[in-house]
Amino acid sequence: MLALHGISKRFHDVTAVSDLTLQISEGEQIALLGPSGCGKTTTLRMIAGFERPTAGRIELATRDITGLPPERRECGMVFQNYALFPHLTVDENISFGLQMRHVPSSERRTRVRAILERIGLKGLDRRYPRQLSGGQQQRAALARALIMNPKVLLLDEPLANLDAKLREEMRFYIRSLQREFRTTSIYVTHDQAEALVLADRIVVMIGGVLQQVGEPHEIYERPTTIEVADFIGLSNLVPAEVAGVAQGLADYRTAVGTLSGLARDGLGVGSQAWLSIRPEHFRIVREGVAESLGSKPNHLHGTVTDTAFLGNLMDYRIEVGSGLRLRAQGSPGDAAAIGERVKLTFAPQDAWPLPKTPNGHD
Amino acid sequence: MATTKVASTESRTSQGIRVPSPTSLLILPTLVVVGFFLILPYLNMLYISLMTANNQGAFERKLTFENYAHNLTDPFIWKVIGLTVQLGLLTVLISLLISYPAAYHLSRQPPRRRGLLMMLIITPLLIGVVIRTYGWMIILSDTGLINQALRALHLPAAGLMYNSTGVLIGLIHIYVPYMVLALLGPLQAIDPDLESAARSLGASRWNAFWRITWPLSLPGVLSGSILVFVLAISAYIIPQLLGGFVTITMPILVVQQVTDLLNWPEGSALTVIFFVVAVVILAAYARLMAFFMRGLS
Repeated sequence: MLALHGISKRFHDVTAVSDLTLQISEGEQIALLGPSGCGKTTTLRMIAGFERPTAGRIELATRDITGLPPERRECGMVFQNYALFPHLTVDENISFGLQMRHVPSSERRTRVRAILERIGLKGLDRRYPRQLSGGQQQRAALARALIMNPKVLLLDEPLANLDAKLREEMRFYIRSLQREFRTTSIYVTHDQAEALVLADRIVVMIGGVLQQVGEPHEIYERPTTIEVADFIGLSNLVPAEVAGVAQGLADYRTAVGTLSGLARDGLGVGSQAWLSIRPEHFRIVREGVAESLGSKPNHLHGTVTDTAFLGNLMDYRIEVGSGLRLRAQGSPGDAAAIGERVKLTFAPQDAWPLPKTPNGHD
Repeated sequence: MATTKVASTESRTSQGIRVPSPTSLLILPTLVVVGFFLILPYLNMLYISLMTANNQGAFERKLTFENYAHNLTDPFIWKVIGLTVQLGLLTVLISLLISYPAAYHLSRQPPRRRGLLMMLIITPLLIGVVIRTYGWMIILSDTGLINQALRALHLPAAGLMYNSTGVLIGLIHIYVPYMVLALLGPLQAIDPDLESAARSLGASRWNAFWRITWPLSLPGVLSGSILVFVLAISAYIIPQLLGGFVTITMPILVVQQVTDLLNWPEGSALTVIFFVVAVVILAAYARLMAFFMRGLS
């Protein structure tokens, strides 16, 4: 459907995007995820036709569109600041594209009415954008793009300007629209929660380079590089050396003893690695509480150095010896206090190794 | 509700006497200057225009409408008013055509380069109008650079000075920077994403400009036009030097009456007449633009 073949973009001496290759199939929901300045917006603007790639080719429905001006690409775009035309009413904004395509006015009216109803802006069609709330502006911008039945819908951080509660609501709203319209869409965001909720596949970009493409759980549970692991969610990274491999699991020698985790291709005995453990995967038991952790592996003992109450969670910093401090999260009931001794345990399936690259994190 | 509104601009003493808030005093110096140096002189002029001309002194304190009556019926006066207004409108139109692309370009530049280009546009304002107009005389006169070049090419000479063409060239040259400045602010305030959005909705580059950017820039067009029109119709030095008293505009006529003929009532009446004409034109223009800008606010 949409294919990016080795596209790059350089601005003077800055490379914003380098050699990006990506295939997107019909009806797929893609999230382009990365920290700010990672080239994700530039990539989107190249697909929309606002920027010309320095190298590479873009194909839409088997047609090479690399040199096509934006008005001939049939890509719908939703901007971070909505970019609603301030001097036109909601109705005029939404029918603008149909007018540009010379759709007769009677058809225009029916289509605008239908989408206004669908998007929940019925009765607001005579208003100007400045007379709408943030969420309503957002809907109007979505309607303006969707009414054109674009081949691809491009969304550039569309929720970034909304407050937290509305953002959460709109996230699910956009997902319901995606399911209904089944428009192939590319959603640019730096918010991993948004990407996890909205995408069939997530494309992680860091420093203009594609890091990993995969389904949300794959990206979250099996990041390929330390950069991805670092960016997505919270992770404890424990320096480790592979001591033995057996049946999909491996023993890792670390500063706090031998830990059992998942094995990974390319990491043989003696390899240096980072062992990544998510804070929510720890089980925390206060020392002295008569609870058996059984004979499972991966027992750690530590002292709580800091706690934070997050409402549904308790967030701990736990010193486990050899200067290693872990972040762990547990239920707020029966919470451990600062200075208290605790036992920590985690399943080997929740410890995922990341290769140590010479120029990676120290 | 009403009391809270009042409280925001002025405070009340316990007796309920209104006292202006301290911030409203900030406008006082301006009020004094405008009152003493603009409104009072205008009222004085209105007064003089109703007095009788007198060759012994400036005027005789005797009420008359004669100054208005004979000027309003004089076709020559209306010809001068027509020419002055025509020069003003042409100056606005041509300087708008020249300034708009420049201002648009500037508004799309990174701040540093924009500052540099802005300086280039403002620099001519640092040189006096007289000097710049003399510069044009060197270029435009019958023995000037252009006509010398034409002669060398065996082409007929062009009359570029001591006529309306010369005055118009001078006016445009002087007032283009003002037009650029007036346009730049509103153009800069337009989010470039708006044009991108229009393009992604199928608008060509031209359509995106014409349907989106142009209407949004109208406030700048309005303020720039008014500024340049007012400056152009009240210009004195440029029409005097480049028009050589052949092309006569209202300011030249007024100065002639007041300083050369010492006929204050006549000059005052002409000024008041022209003031009314200018206000009517500006009001009509503002109404027209308000119609086009009805979606903006």
